[in-house]
Amino acid sequence: MQIRSDFPILERKLPNGKQLVYFDNAATSQKPRCVITAMSDFYEQYNSNAHRANHTLADEATTALEEARVNIANFFGTSPNQLIYTSGATEAINLVAFSWARANLSKDDIVVLTEMEHHADIVPWQQLSKEIGIEVRYVPIDIETFKLDMEAFSIAIIDASLVCVVHTSNVLGVRNPVEEIIQLSHSVGAKVLLDCAQSAPHEKINFDILGADFIAISAHKMAGPTGIGCLLVKENIMEEMAPFMTGGSMIKTVTTKGSTFQDGHALFETGTPRIAEAIGWGAAVEWLNQFDMADINSHVHNIASWTAKEMRKIPGIVIYGNPEESDSSGAVSFLHESIQSLDMALLLDEGGFAVRTGHHCAQPLMDALNVPSTNRASFWVYNTMEEAKSFIEHLRYIVERFT
Amino acid sequence: MNGDNIWSNNLISIIEEFQDCFDSMERYELLFDYAKKHPTPLPPEDWNDSNKIIGCQSRAHVSCNLDEDGNFVLRGGADAQIVQGLMSITAIAVNGMAPDSVSKMTPNYAEEMGLQSSLTPSRANGFLNMFRRVQEEATKLVK
Repeated sequence: MQIRSDFPILERKLPNGKQLVYFDNAATSQKPRCVITAMSDFYEQYNSNAHRANHTLADEATTALEEARVNIANFFGTSPNQLIYTSGATEAINLVAFSWARANLSKDDIVVLTEMEHHADIVPWQQLSKEIGIEVRYVPIDIETFKLDMEAFSIAIIDASLVCVVHTSNVLGVRNPVEEIIQLSHSVGAKVLLDCAQSAPHEKINFDILGADFIAISAHKMAGPTGIGCLLVKENIMEEMAPFMTGGSMIKTVTTKGSTFQDGHALFETGTPRIAEAIGWGAAVEWLNQFDMADINSHVHNIASWTAKEMRKIPGIVIYGNPEESDSSGAVSFLHESIQSLDMALLLDEGGFAVRTGHHCAQPLMDALNVPSTNRASFWVYNTMEEAKSFIEHLRYIVERFT
Repeated sequence: MNGDNIWSNNLISIIEEFQDCFDSMERYELLFDYAKKHPTPLPPEDWNDSNKIIGCQSRAHVSCNLDEDGNFVLRGGADAQIVQGLMSITAIAVNGMAPDSVSKMTPNYAEEMGLQSSLTPSRANGFLNMFRRVQEEATKLVK
């Protein structure tokens, strides 16, 4: 299969001789050879700092960095001027908290979050609340349907200044109705920040059409390298943001009397950029451009849906989320009633299956579900039904042998 | 390999039992069996923040003291069977020893049992944290 052969790591055998089956894609995806090659080519052929010098290598590095920005912005349906490179979605959300919220919010402002948020979209707002006294409200989930309580949402956003919502839950795989969320939030005058770390690998994000004010994305979950991501920002809102970090690159002039700053995304990209990482991410979106994202979503959904259906037949397995529903993405969170999640993870690993275990950086959601942790199998474009079948077979074997 | 460790006959026979296992799943099965055989268990109602092992993905607690003859007693409990099994074996290994000997033990019996692949520090399953905690408690009891 062509897709799998692009990923050298998928051939790997574990130390116990078992074939790796990688079902931890919601934590990070594997990287196709073209991404690895693009990054090593940079270091082998034209490694140089960008935006600084006039020699050939510097010109090539700068061109590659900015070409990647164009390709990535196009992939997300917006202009390169709207894309600020960050270290990932976490830094992107912190950038909103530090650069926009500190400049535009004060004690009486309200920021609305949901119980589904990743810690990256909770802690910055809790810190801001401590610092300037903003009110933080949490929209609950309905623990029967695993969906956001939209009635509570409509009430929570009254008088809010900012609404921060995860597009697709990293634990439940549930896709939130972001179009409705944006429309409702804007109708009360609130800005909207979407955490698209989990959704970007599975569905077409069209920033300009979607209409969110901010979108945070990580490259490493969508075939790109770790250490890079971006914040997409509406043009008029970028003008409302104050610099977060200061230093090299973000200035126009510096004298002993003071400094003047760059405009646009350059104002927020201080210091030497993540050049190799940006080039790697650019190669990743080029690789993804061979697909229709709807086909990836459908492929991943089919595997998750089948896996969940089969898991429900295994005695003692409880699934958190509705992977069979069409608005779910490729994550299946589960627990066995008598096999603790850590035990389950190690027993699955013995069979070669890499799944995530723990609170998934979403402890408020774990509290709402009344569990300390879950096991999570998450799928992507290179996973196959054969892998899912072998996973179910091994899971059944574990349950039969260890209960 | 006992090396400088003072391993009881009980522990040596447990190591041999694990070495006789056919594969890793059989070793885990045996570990699950040992989870049920903790000689001095710490029941969940006695689990608290002061006896909690930090850095373990599951809930794990240990409490160490000396019996009336001055010998070490390790009481422990965990919600994960793999951690509980390792605690049981550790208790079998150290109960009745002088605290000074416990403080000098190394955790390599787990490696000898063929469980090292699931015990690396990054797995965060707590075995090494549990072992270090037992040694710290033993050192305190020497004093």
